[in-house]
Amino acid sequence: MNRLELLLAFLTLLSLTTLCGFILARNVLRLLPLFAIYSFVLLFSTGSVWLAYEHFGFHSLASYYIYWGTVLLNAVARSLAIAELCRYGLRAYRGIWSLVWRVLTILSILLIARTIYDAWGQPNRVAIYGTTIDRDLALASIVILLALLLFRNYYGIALERLQRGIALGICLICVVDVIGNTVLRNIFTGYFLSFFMASQVAVWSAMSAQVERINDLWSTIHLAAFMSTIGIWCFALRKPLPARQESPVMLPSEVYRDLSPAINMRLASFNTRMVELLKP
Amino acid sequence: MNDLAIVIPVMLALSVILVWLLYPRKNLKGTSAPPLQANFNEPIPAPRHFRYFRQIRQALSAADAEYLLQAAPRNVSRQALRERRHVALGFLKGLHEDFSNISRLGRVIAALSPEISHKQEAERLKLTVKFQLLYAIVWLRLYTGNLPVGQLERLTGVVGRLAARMDEAMAEISAQSAGQFAEKLGA
Repeated sequence: MNRLELLLAFLTLLSLTTLCGFILARNVLRLLPLFAIYSFVLLFSTGSVWLAYEHFGFHSLASYYIYWGTVLLNAVARSLAIAELCRYGLRAYRGIWSLVWRVLTILSILLIARTIYDAWGQPNRVAIYGTTIDRDLALASIVILLALLLFRNYYGIALERLQRGIALGICLICVVDVIGNTVLRNIFTGYFLSFFMASQVAVWSAMSAQVERINDLWSTIHLAAFMSTIGIWCFALRKPLPARQESPVMLPSEVYRDLSPAINMRLASFNTRMVELLKP
Repeated sequence: MNDLAIVIPVMLALSVILVWLLYPRKNLKGTSAPPLQANFNEPIPAPRHFRYFRQIRQALSAADAEYLLQAAPRNVSRQALRERRHVALGFLKGLHEDFSNISRLGRVIAALSPEISHKQEAERLKLTVKFQLLYAIVWLRLYTGNLPVGQLERLTGVVGRLAARMDEAMAEISAQSAGQFAEKLGA
């Protein structure tokens, strides 16, 4: 690790500790338990990788596997935090929740299937699997967040301050991960593929300097984005959390049954007239 | 590196959309209905633009246009016709707002209903998208002078009926909600 990376890693640990402190102080565990667990997983992962580097050395195989293991653990924890974000606040609106969870579940299954399919065809190396899965899961997170926000905006149910901050932070880190992992994967599966082949041991020493340079650059970009994300979350947690909103009073089912078809019919006739208007 | 050329613009576009959805800008121009608050206490504005249709129709009538062309000097009549088109565009914008309010009413009802029909929701979404597209085309044609302003009359009749239905619906919902609150208080 170079000096800058060491500094960034130290700052990341410090900011993650601050975030976990905020989470405990604001009692986020009660409101959003999966996001709280995600934050603790991030702290645990960063600490584990740090210890692995210190104990086994930066270039050891053990550190390599621990790093990729924590990347996947973080991706799983992040997915659970997003699922919680989807459920939070929308579940009270029983009618639309029944629609939203179905759509989001189908979308998630499709995106996970795509991730598996994409990783399946890659060369058999942990780093290539890791970058592919991490990239595709980050992309899936963005798509799910986008779908959730579209639903919320469409039905006029705004996210609260903390949830907005969480979504923005996740979005930032996922965007950086998608771009960075795409670059890395392209390099690994293209120019540097021979570096992963046992038959090409002879060229390893010649290429290791370049691999390290790419690794350093990516780590710096990733850690900078990661710290910005933690900054956004800490900023969202700076004030005490508002009391949980009361469940809305639902209308009787008949109102929807009677009015919704009538409204749709009127909207359809409006469109018909618009089409007529355009006829010569 | 080919997929990188796709990934970077797509990611940037998605980021912009996500930020826009997370922090929607205020309804500055008033062309569409503002988003509802989570508590739904905000009143839904009733359609109002159609009410001025009689005056608008008079101002935009073909007879008026002909009279202008015959009686007024050429530059004056041109100026007047341009003004008429501006009025028509403003009116179309108002109709769009009215349409948004009706559509929004449907979404409010859906959000506050314990059960909804997925088919009805999909249909409303489809109708709204279609309307937005048609509105854009009509606006463009009106703006470029390819659509006679008099044809707007056919639209306004529909909006008028929609508004009447919306008033009924709002009254019905208010009555239903009041009943619900009374029940809750009584419990």
